[in-house]
Amino acid sequence: MVIQVFYRFFIYPDIKLSLISILLLFSSGLSAEDKPHAPENIEGARIVSAEEAIDLILNTPDLIVIDARKKTEFVKGHIEGAINMLNTKMQRDDLEKVAADKSGPILFYCNGTRCMRSADAIKKAKKWGYTNLIWFRGGWKEWTDKRLPVVTD
Amino acid sequence: MIGAIAVILSLLAGSYFRQAALNAQMDSLSRVIEVASQEMLKEVRRHTFDLGMKLGHSKELIHAVKTVEENGGHKQLVELLDDPFVNGFVGFSSIDLEKIRIYSLQLELIAQSSAGTEALDGQLSDHMAELVRKRRHTERLKAVDALWISTEGPQFSTLVPLGGLRPTGYLEIIVNPVFNLPDIGKITQTPVNIFSMAGIQISDDDQEITDNYLPVEFTLLASDGQPAFRVVGYEDVDKLNRKMEETQIITISGFLLLSLSTLLGALWLFNRFLFTPLSKMVADMEQVSHGKLDLTVNNKGLREFHVLADAFNSMSDQVRMRTNDLERLLDMGDSAIMCFDHDKEAVYVNKATTRLLGYSNDEFADLDLADLFTDDITQLMMHSAVADSSGQKRLHTSLTCKHKDGHEFQITAVINCIDVMGQSGYAIALDTASDNQAKMSGQSEQRLDAVEQSLSSLLEFARNNPRLMSGAGNIGLHEPMGETQKILTREQAVNVMGLALACWEHDLGKSKLELAEESKIWPVYIDKSTPTTRTLDKYLKLDSCPKNPRNQRVIDTAEFVLRIMSNRTTVGRKKLQDALDAFRLLLSGMKSAGK
Repeated sequence: MVIQVFYRFFIYPDIKLSLISILLLFSSGLSAEDKPHAPENIEGARIVSAEEAIDLILNTPDLIVIDARKKTEFVKGHIEGAINMLNTKMQRDDLEKVAADKSGPILFYCNGTRCMRSADAIKKAKKWGYTNLIWFRGGWKEWTDKRLPVVTD
Repeated sequence: MIGAIAVILSLLAGSYFRQAALNAQMDSLSRVIEVASQEMLKEVRRHTFDLGMKLGHSKELIHAVKTVEENGGHKQLVELLDDPFVNGFVGFSSIDLEKIRIYSLQLELIAQSSAGTEALDGQLSDHMAELVRKRRHTERLKAVDALWISTEGPQFSTLVPLGGLRPTGYLEIIVNPVFNLPDIGKITQTPVNIFSMAGIQISDDDQEITDNYLPVEFTLLASDGQPAFRVVGYEDVDKLNRKMEETQIITISGFLLLSLSTLLGALWLFNRFLFTPLSKMVADMEQVSHGKLDLTVNNKGLREFHVLADAFNSMSDQVRMRTNDLERLLDMGDSAIMCFDHDKEAVYVNKATTRLLGYSNDEFADLDLADLFTDDITQLMMHSAVADSSGQKRLHTSLTCKHKDGHEFQITAVINCIDVMGQSGYAIALDTASDNQAKMSGQSEQRLDAVEQSLSSLLEFARNNPRLMSGAGNIGLHEPMGETQKILTREQAVNVMGLALACWEHDLGKSKLELAEESKIWPVYIDKSTPTTRTLDKYLKLDSCPKNPRNQRVIDTAEFVLRIMSNRTTVGRKKLQDALDAFRLLLSGMKSAGK
C-alpha cells in the first residue's frame, strides 16, 4: 500500500495530476454544495415521485402537467402530455388558459432537486389561488435516470 | 563488501519496487478499461434509447402495430421498421443498427425489420425477458438495456415501451457493440486490441506495439455475467522503466559513494590511530634495538599503544641501567678482564685489558688466545682439577702476555671456564696492579665472581643485541652458523684475500706490509723490532684463518685493491672481482637464510 502510494506520487506524475484534479473537483463540489437546493417541501403542494407521477398521469384524466423549464430543454425531451411554461414567463392568464379550474390537479416539474423553477411556479400558482398543487420535485433528472418514456419534438 | 551488499540490496529493492509499480499500473489500467467500457456502452445506450423513444412515440408505428392483423398490416409495419435503416436517424453513424423488433405486452414477437442481420433467431433474449417479467405496473415502463450473447456473437439491445406511458407493446433496438468497441481505446488513450471469447481478433489498433508496452487484459461481461469480449490494453511503461533505471542508478551511486566515503574514513582513522603510531613505534623500537637505548619510543596513539610503548620504554630503561651497571662493574679497578669463546677468539675485553696489552677494541676482534698469551690456556685448564664450590673450574696461575709492541711480560691471572652461548669458553682476569698472587685473592677475585655471574646474561644480551655493548662494540658475537657455511665462508674469504694480495704484489709491485699500512684495515705489529702483519697473515691460509673470519675486512681489502687498480685491467683483477662477487653472494645468501 505504502509502495503504491509512493509510486503514485513520485513515479507517475500523471497519477499525481489526476489526484490533483480530483482535489480540484472536490473543491468545486464544495462550491456546488453552496448552490441552493429546491426546498424540501412547499406548503400547499404535494410532493410525488416519478412512479406516483405516472400513476397520476394515467389515472387522473383532468391532470395538468406543467414543465417549468426552458423551451430548448423541453424540446429535447419532456414527459408525455406536459405543457411548457417557463416559471419566469408564466402569467396568471397563461395558467388560467390551461387550468381554468383552480381546484383541479396541476403537476409541476423542472430539471430536478437543484432546480428552483417548478418551486417558483408552484408558489405563483398558489398565490393565484390554485389549491390542488402537485410537485414532482425529482423532475427531469429523476425521470430520465429511471429511463422512463420521454417525448422529443 | 558493504558497497557490494548495498548494491545487491538496492537491485533487489529496485526489482521489487518495479514489480509493485507494474502491478499497480496494471490494476489501474484494468480499472480504466472497465470504466471506458461502461462509458462506451452508455453512449450506445443513449443512442438506442433516443431511437427507441422516437419510434416508440411514432403514431404511425403505433397505429401499424394496432392494425397488424389487418390485411397488409404486417407488411406496412415491417416497412416502417425498415425506415431507420433506409433513411437513417439521429445518431445513425454512432451505432451499428442490427435489427428493430416489435413485441406484444406479453413479449411475443409481432414483427421485425427485414433490414439488418437475418441471423438472429427472432426471440427476445432470455435475460431481458426475465427482467421485464419481473417488473410490475409502472416499472414495466422503464427501458431495459442488455449486452447479451446471441448465436452470432454479443449484441446490445434496448427495450422500450411502444406508445409511451400507455404502451401497446415493446420495441427492441438491437445494435452490434463491436462497432463501438474501439471507442475504449479512444477513452483510455492507449492502444487497445479486442478479441472475441473464441480468441478471434475483432479490433486492431493501428499503433505499433513495442516491448515497452505492458499488456493489460480486461474481460467485458454480458448482462447475464457471461464473458463477452476480451479487451487487451497496452500501457506504455517506457517512462516507468526509465524512471526506475534513473532511480536505481541514483540509489546505487549513493550507496557506493556512501560506502566509499565510509571506507576512506575508516582507512583514514586506521592510518591516523593505528598504522602511523604503530609505524613510528616500530621505527623507534628498531632504533632502540640497534643500541640507541636513550631513545624514548613514541607513545602517542590508541591507549593500547600508549601502554605498550610505556612498557617498552620502561624495559629499555632497565636494560640501559643494567648494561651500564655491568660495564661499570667490568671496567672497575685495574684488573684486565677478557672473555674468549669456544674458538678461543676474544668476545669481550674491558678497558683495563686494552691499556695492558696495547690493542684497541677493534684489533681484539682478530685476536685469539695464542695472540695474547704464550701459554696454552686450554692445556692449563685441562690439567688443572681445581673446582670451586659450584663445581666450575677455576685456575690461579701466572701467564705470559704478548703486548702489541712485541714485548712479553708475566702477570698473575685467574682463569675461569664459563659458558659462552652454550659452549665452553674462558674468562681471564689479569691483575695489573701487582704481580703478587696474594693480593689477587681479595677484592679482584670477588669482582671476578660477580663478573662471572653477570657475564652469562651480558653475553646473552650482547648476542641478541650486538651493538648495545659499547665496550665490546667491535668484538661482535657471531650468530650460530652451520659448519658447512662456516667452511665455505672461510674458504672464500681466504680465496679473496689471496687474490687481493696477488694483485697487490704482482700488478702493483707492492708488499704485504704496504697493503696493511696503506689500507689501514689490518694492524701492523712489531715483533722483536720487526713489523709484522700477523692478523692479515692468518687470512691467507685456510688452517690459520679464524673460524669466524671478519668478512667485512676481507671485502674492504678487496675493494681497496680494486680501487687502487681501477685504471688497470688484468687477469688477476678480473679474478679478484669475480671472487669478491661470489663472496658477497655467499654472504647475502647466508643472511637471507638466517632470516
